[in-house]
Amino acid sequence: MAKKDKEDDEFRPTGTIAVLAIFVVTLIAIWATIYMILVGRGGTL
Amino acid sequence: MSTNQIHIDPYERNWMIISAILLVLFATAVSVAAFGMGIQVPAPEQRVDPRTVATDPNSPWSNPGLREIEPGKYDAYVLARAIPSWEYLPKEMTIPAGSSVSFYVTSSDVQHGFKIQDTNANFQVVPGQVSKLTIKFDKPGTYNFICTEYCGSGHGVMYGAIIVTP
Amino acid sequence: MKQYQLSTGEKKFIGSHLLVAILALAVGSLFGPLQAFEHAGWDIYPYIKPLIKSYYQGLTVHGVLNALVWTTFFIMGFLTFNVTFGLKRALRNPTLNKVGFWVMVVGVVTAAIPILANQATVLFTFYPPLKANWAFYLGLTLVVVGSWVEGWGLFATYLGWRKENPNERTPFIAFASILTALLWQICTLGVATEILTMLLPWSLGLIENVDPQLARTYFWFTGHPLVYFWLLPAYISWYAMLPKQAGNGKMFSDSLARLSFWIFLVLSTPLGFHHQYVDPGVPPVWKFIHSMLTFGVFFPSMMTAFTVVASLEHAGRKQGGKGALAWIGKLNWSDPSVAAQLLAGILFFFGGIGGLANASYNVNLVLHNTAFIPGHFHLTVATGVTLSFMGISYWLLPYLTGRKLWNPKWAVAQAWTWFVGMIIFSNSMHVLGLLGAPRRVPLGLAPYVPAEWNSRLLQVGVGGAILFVSGALYLTVMLMTALNKEKVAEEVQVPIAESMQDPALTPVWLDRWAPWIYGTLALVVIVYGPQLVDMISNIALTSPGFRVW
Repeated sequence: MAKKDKEDDEFRPTGTIAVLAIFVVTLIAIWATIYMILVGRGGTL
Repeated sequence: MSTNQIHIDPYERNWMIISAILLVLFATAVSVAAFGMGIQVPAPEQRVDPRTVATDPNSPWSNPGLREIEPGKYDAYVLARAIPSWEYLPKEMTIPAGSSVSFYVTSSDVQHGFKIQDTNANFQVVPGQVSKLTIKFDKPGTYNFICTEYCGSGHGVMYGAIIVTP
Repeated sequence: MKQYQLSTGEKKFIGSHLLVAILALAVGSLFGPLQAFEHAGWDIYPYIKPLIKSYYQGLTVHGVLNALVWTTFFIMGFLTFNVTFGLKRALRNPTLNKVGFWVMVVGVVTAAIPILANQATVLFTFYPPLKANWAFYLGLTLVVVGSWVEGWGLFATYLGWRKENPNERTPFIAFASILTALLWQICTLGVATEILTMLLPWSLGLIENVDPQLARTYFWFTGHPLVYFWLLPAYISWYAMLPKQAGNGKMFSDSLARLSFWIFLVLSTPLGFHHQYVDPGVPPVWKFIHSMLTFGVFFPSMMTAFTVVASLEHAGRKQGGKGALAWIGKLNWSDPSVAAQLLAGILFFFGGIGGLANASYNVNLVLHNTAFIPGHFHLTVATGVTLSFMGISYWLLPYLTGRKLWNPKWAVAQAWTWFVGMIIFSNSMHVLGLLGAPRRVPLGLAPYVPAEWNSRLLQVGVGGAILFVSGALYLTVMLMTALNKEKVAEEVQVPIAESMQDPALTPVWLDRWAPWIYGTLALVVIVYGPQLVDMISNIALTSPGFRVW
């Protein structure tokens, strides 16, 4: 069984936030680029 | 702690909220493009018999090509086929700039694809079904349309062109 | 503390899965670089014509062996390990599992014969009315049925354990593995229906014609959850093993890990129309509903990203890592198993981004069947999954055989070459797709290729060459390990990251199967039922078969 260590209680995943922030920015940038290609190529109806 | 309560770290909770907001934003952008700008995916159009679609004199695909419906508006009946040699009929279509063309594409044999470069026309061509999208060509030039689904050994040479004249 | 011991027989059984998997990868991976070289203008296919008739036969071998055989065998072996080791319990009915395994092997051989004879050059999606030899469809059926039987063996083992331990929380790796096997049983109903009601009788001459649109719909009922069947075993390793290996880290959240697996089960099947956005025979309203559910299934992947990165950060901090990002450097990069899985995870981030774009309804008009698609799934199944499985095998093979990993430095080099090769290959494929290049085309010969694609096509070849070296390194390390005279001193310790929170505090509702299974089936019926009923009641069996390769 897992013991609750004191250091685990104090662990704050701040580095994780940094990694995921980079990920979110990349995600938005790439997705938006493709979306703009879509919009630029015009309608289909 | 009650065993029915799920424990969520505050950092992770915030991340889940951000993820949800992000996905809602993407869904909204997609909906705006679909319902606001008319960038839509194909809808069921018509069903045909692939065995006779190219030969039955009542079928428009027995005489594939452009039909001018009204000035600047065309219907294009396109037949995709692997037999006898991987090709689209017609191979080439010429229209003046500013024309709007509805493509009705079907196959007389296997599945094909139909993608007009630099436009949003890109769909699956399934025997028995008719795929339809409408594209407005404003800029003069040559727009290749190419096969995007594996259809046998000649798949890589299967293409045609729309020539938009000024 | 001494770890639970698997019997020699169980180790051999799991090892035979690995053997078939790696053999499949060895043959299948030969053709990947040939495809890439062709794009760069170095077409080798004419020189191997006595053996392989065409680019497309090579592509079929590559897709079937790598995407279907390598993955399925590795996964069934790994799940079997996780269930027995996780539950600390022997297989309840080992004969059942063995029968399943051998049915799968017979299936692979049965399907391989027509593929190698150029009688089934239909690629791994085998869309009708392309018509392969019946043995191809029969072989695929046997592989699926065999995997079902193996799954039943795992369920029986779990139920036996549950009877003996009515009040315990299912250990995470066993829980997640049972769930993966269950997901597989549900989702393969689609392809099983496609083959048994249409393709097999058709190829045997019992029926004349098929309905290609309905066949596609059955196929993609299975096709998307198939992706999760590949992915979840890698997630199990990332959640529950990698943090331990990377620096003695703990799993950040047991409850949320389980919750995300449940969401994968519920949501991964009822969204298959997102592979059919541009099909003519499916109404846009269903396509749109499936796209929204696809956004929904992206959510547990975001949760996974958080939990896995946080668990790794925990490991990095324990090793003295500081700063916002510098802790990453403190992870145990010299362990090939860690390096492979970390690099797989990094590229998987990008695979996820591409996947979200594919799944975004009309955005698919830009991407459908372009080179973007193989670019995308070489980051997911061919890196996120495959490179992780390679990483897992770097400890699993020594564990199973008692032989030391041969030359770990070569194994680390393997991971890095895969990473670099795949970046070059995949990036150029994505860009080519956005420029309009189609997939599944020998682009080196296509008449419509504009000059602006050429530099990218060359990069595809360069990436393929590096990947070829990496694949060869992997096979060398595996072969030399299997033959290694140097034994491990004592049994290899299985890396299990314990949970930061006591799993006993995980809510009971995260360990109850029935409500989730009913929910899954109900959702499948709601979002697939009406359209399937419509298509089946209006079935148009009008397509005869064609052999045009």
